[in-house]
Amino acid sequence: MARKTAARQIMLEGLWQENPILRHTLGICSTLAVTNLLVNTLVMNIGLIFTLTMSCTTVSLLRNLTPLRIRMMVQTLIISSYVIIFDIVIKAYLPDISEALGPYVGLIITNCIIMGRCEAFARSNRAWPSFLDGLAVGIGFSLVLFGVAFVRELLGFGSLFGYLVMPETFTPWTIMIMPPGAFFTLGIYVWLVRSFAGSAEPERLKM
Amino acid sequence: MNKRVYAVFYMFCLTLVFTSLVTVAKVVNEERIAVNQQANRQRVILTVLKISQAFTAPRDEIARLFASHISESEAGGRTIYSAHDPVSKEGLGHAFALRGIGFWGPIEAMVGVDAELSRVLAIEFYRHQETPGLGARITEPWFTEQFAGLSLVEEPGDEGFFTISPPAPDKPALELDAVTGATLTTRAVETFVNQELQMIKDLGRAWQKGEQ
Repeated sequence: MARKTAARQIMLEGLWQENPILRHTLGICSTLAVTNLLVNTLVMNIGLIFTLTMSCTTVSLLRNLTPLRIRMMVQTLIISSYVIIFDIVIKAYLPDISEALGPYVGLIITNCIIMGRCEAFARSNRAWPSFLDGLAVGIGFSLVLFGVAFVRELLGFGSLFGYLVMPETFTPWTIMIMPPGAFFTLGIYVWLVRSFAGSAEPERLKM
Repeated sequence: MNKRVYAVFYMFCLTLVFTSLVTVAKVVNEERIAVNQQANRQRVILTVLKISQAFTAPRDEIARLFASHISESEAGGRTIYSAHDPVSKEGLGHAFALRGIGFWGPIEAMVGVDAELSRVLAIEFYRHQETPGLGARITEPWFTEQFAGLSLVEEPGDEGFFTISPPAPDKPALELDAVTGATLTTRAVETFVNQELQMIKDLGRAWQKGEQ
C-alpha cells in the first residue's frame, strides 16, 4: 500500500508539481525548436521519454557501483548512448521525420531535464521509482510541448498534424512558426497555468 | 581495489558495454539507412533539376522518375546526373554534387544547371551541421531560391558569380541576402558555391570545344 502511494506521488510530482517546464523552466531549447509542428513534437517527445526513462533506470541500477567522482561522465555516456540508438532507429524507420528534426535529436543529449533527473532523483533512488520518475517527468514535459505545438501549428500553419483545419480565409501567423512564437506561447501558457492552478511557488524551492 | 584504478576500470567497462550497444543498433539498421539516404539523394537531384516539384512525392514514385529521367556520367572525377525527357529525349539539365566546409562541418549541396550549362536552375543544401535556427536556415526556400537563374555565361566578377550580403532593399541582382546571425556559414556558402560554379563553367567550355 505504502509503495503504491509512493508511486502515485512520484507520478504526480513529475507531471505537475515538479513539471520541468512549468516549474523549473528547464528544457526550453527543445521547447522552442521543435514545437512548430505537432508531428515533430510527437517524435521528439517519444525520444525524450525513451531516453529519460531508460537513462534514469540505468543510472539508478548502477548507483551503488558508480564512483561519485565520475558520475557525471557516466551519466553523459548513458544518456548519449540511448539518444544515438534512438537517432539510428528513426533514421531507419522514419526517415522523413528524421530529416525534419535534423540535429535536434542529437540535442536531446544536452537536454538539461535528463541529467537533472538523473542527478536529482535516479542516483539516490531504486530502479522502479526512478523509472516512474523518468516516465512522469517525460510525460509532464511532453504535455506542455504538445500544448505549445498545438497553438503554434494551428495559428502558424492553420493545420493540426498536417491536416488543414482552419477555413480557407485564414491568414497564417508566420511569427508563430518562428522562435518568437514559441516564447509568446510558452510565456502565456506558463502564466495561465500558474495563475489558475494557484500555489504560485512550491513551498520548497529546489536549487 | 585502489579507488582510482577502480574508477578507470569501471568507466572502461561501461564505455565498452554502451558503445557495443550503439554499434549493434547501427549495424542492424545500416542497410535500411543507406536505402533511405539514397532515396533522399534521388529526391534532391530531381528537385534541383525541376523534374519533381512534389518534394513530398512517395518513395517509389521518386525511384521511378529517377530511373526514367536521369543518367549518370563521369567528368573530371565527379559524377554528373543528366536529365532527359523520357519521350522526346530532350536534355533537361545536369545536376552536380557540391561540397564545401561550413562553420561546423562539411556542407553538401546539389546544384541543377540547364542543359547548356548556362544558368542555375536550383540549389539544395541537403546535408550540413550548421547551427539549428541560424546557419541551418541555408536550407530554407527563401535562401535557396535566390540562386535560381544565376548566369554562368558572363565572366564572373572579382568576387565570383554572386556575393552574399546582409538583407537590404534595392540590392543589385547578384547580391543575395545572407542569413542574419550566420555570417560565417553564409560566407562559407559564398566561397564554395562560387568555386564550384566556376568548375561547372569550365566544364561547359570544355564541352563546347569538344563539340566544335
